Amino acid sequence: MLTINNLHATVGDKEILKGINLEVNEGEVHAIMGPNGSGKSTLASVLAGNDKFEVTEGSVIFNGKNLLDMSIEERACEGIFLGFQYPVEIPGVSMANFLKHAVDEQRKCRGEEPLGAADFLKLMREKAKVVEIESKLTNRAVNEGFSGGEKKKNEIFQMAMLDPKLAILDETDSGLDIDALRVVATGVTKLKRPDNATIVITHYQRLLDYIVPDYVHVLYNGKIIKTAGRDIALELEEKGYDWLIKDYR
Amino acid sequence: MESIEKKLTDLYLYNRDLIDEDLPDYIIGSRREALESFNILGLPDRKSEKYKYSDIKSRYELYNYEKYFSLFGNNPPNPEKILTESLEIKIVNGYSGGELHVLSNGIIYGSLRNAANDFTELVKRYYNKLAVNDKDSVSALNTMFMQDGAFIYVPKNTIADTPFTISNLYDAGENTYAYNRNLIIFEENSSSKVIFNSKTSDNTAYLINGLSEVFVEKNASSEILVLQRENNLSTHLSNFYSEQAENSNLRISVISTDGGLIRNNWNVYLRGKNAETHNYGLYISGCGQSIDNHTNIEHLVPDCTSFEKYKGIVSGDGKGIFNGRILVEKDAQRTRAFQENHNLILSDVATIDSKPQLEIYADDVKCSHGATVGQLDENAIFYMRQRGISEATARKLQMYGFINDIVGEIGIMDISDKINDIATKKIERL
Repeated sequence: MLTINNLHATVGDKEILKGINLEVNEGEVHAIMGPNGSGKSTLASVLAGNDKFEVTEGSVIFNGKNLLDMSIEERACEGIFLGFQYPVEIPGVSMANFLKHAVDEQRKCRGEEPLGAADFLKLMREKAKVVEIESKLTNRAVNEGFSGGEKKKNEIFQMAMLDPKLAILDETDSGLDIDALRVVATGVTKLKRPDNATIVITHYQRLLDYIVPDYVHVLYNGKIIKTAGRDIALELEEKGYDWLIKDYR
Repeated sequence: MESIEKKLTDLYLYNRDLIDEDLPDYIIGSRREALESFNILGLPDRKSEKYKYSDIKSRYELYNYEKYFSLFGNNPPNPEKILTESLEIKIVNGYSGGELHVLSNGIIYGSLRNAANDFTELVKRYYNKLAVNDKDSVSALNTMFMQDGAFIYVPKNTIADTPFTISNLYDAGENTYAYNRNLIIFEENSSSKVIFNSKTSDNTAYLINGLSEVFVEKNASSEILVLQRENNLSTHLSNFYSEQAENSNLRISVISTDGGLIRNNWNVYLRGKNAETHNYGLYISGCGQSIDNHTNIEHLVPDCTSFEKYKGIVSGDGKGIFNGRILVEKDAQRTRAFQENHNLILSDVATIDSKPQLEIYADDVKCSHGATVGQLDENAIFYMRQRGISEATARKLQMYGFINDIVGEIGIMDISDKINDIATKKIERL
């Protein structure tokens, strides 16, 4: 599904990603861990197409297509979803209106007709259940006045609405209490299918109790320095990163 | 070269018989005083603090003032109907065509010219009582040259269920001055809604000088919506004066989506205790357009409340100006006055001038003001694009979101969708 080969990216004149290699297949869950500043969020932003970052080397192939050639919205239409670490507030634009545009534009890319109003409302109600959000939330402006937990649930709600092929969740667990964490993680698990994939970026192994990864990658200084099974997350929780990264300093 | 002021006074003096024809003495008398004021004041230019962002003098020099007289007897098309059901006053190039309606519940609406003659005592009691001709020469010119306009009278204890619309159409086919004068009286315990719909029908130059006086008496409640859509060659100078008595409530919204130069002076006088006023404005100014709102809310007695919120979007070489004066007189204790002005700039050459101007002489007041000028939020655009929304749509959605609360404040339900439509269409053209 996704093949990242020797990916380098810079912001200004600072290189953040220094040769990432990663292969994600359908049905897999990958976790990316690593200390602060290692480049985890940059990797997510680069995959989504954020033009604050410049790709200087390497390639990203997504379902046979060159992802790096596409605009942000083309990538979204191809099925890339980014769950934001800090979801953005959009005053005056209701969730319903925002999602109607998003759903319809993605359908347009696939050559489908816009969803009728009744079908759209039905879809919203159905998907709201996945993350246990109150349906009145959808009448409010996008993320405006949402609590930290509501914002993160709202990201997973959008993911459910848009049904992506590859979801990249950037620290979706940060700022969540235990209950909200469970809801978010259960939501993600419910959306998992044999034909989609998830990349979970996290600091804590706590999230991985709910979202069980097939692979855990440790990112440090712009490179993946170790790939292992889920057990390494437990080991990191216990021992920290030092033992792993000391050879790479 | 002869000055524009001299040309205008000569125009008045040489034609005063024609201008005054069939109008009552009190109107003619007010013209003489206005002329004296105009002679002293002259037209404001860029050196004038009040008009420094809108050079009125040079705008007056642009137009062919002689056309003022050829407007009699025109047979213009019907103005657009903005509401399917309304008590409509059609005014074309400043003339109403003379209709005046008297309804069984006592409501009178139609031509001010006719009302001035048919209901002399009533009109005389209010006419020219609010206009500040001796300080504002644009008002003085209106008083000198006015011929007609709209008159609305809603008597005591009357609820006007159907909104009034004043459809102002400018359709003279060439360079023209147009004056219109409106007088609106809402008596005690009355309730009513008025829509001013101002539009040019062709792409020729107009100079429009409009003046409205609105009286909101004890316990009366009313809403006024002003919609301005004029071509890029036009200049629209508008003076609005409203006076509110005890416990009255007046809501004013102004939506300006097109115009070469629009200059609105809003004067709101809170003269009775517990009066409340809401003032909302939206201006969307594109290439070749300049929209200038000066508001002056005067808290003259204790316990009044004013809410004010103006929002603007400027693009291309468009200009937006907001000057919000709030005066709280020494005795106006327990005043509550809140002002906000927010602006979005979409290009490097568009400009916004925003100036809050609070003059507070009372010591027990609650007042606040805030002004912002910013650009579209790139993070929000990235967020929307990541969900599949195109960049162009993401920008527009953010602008719709920006204007949403102003449109939402319009209480005349039948029209808020239409206003939203007009505003969003303008955004699409930016």
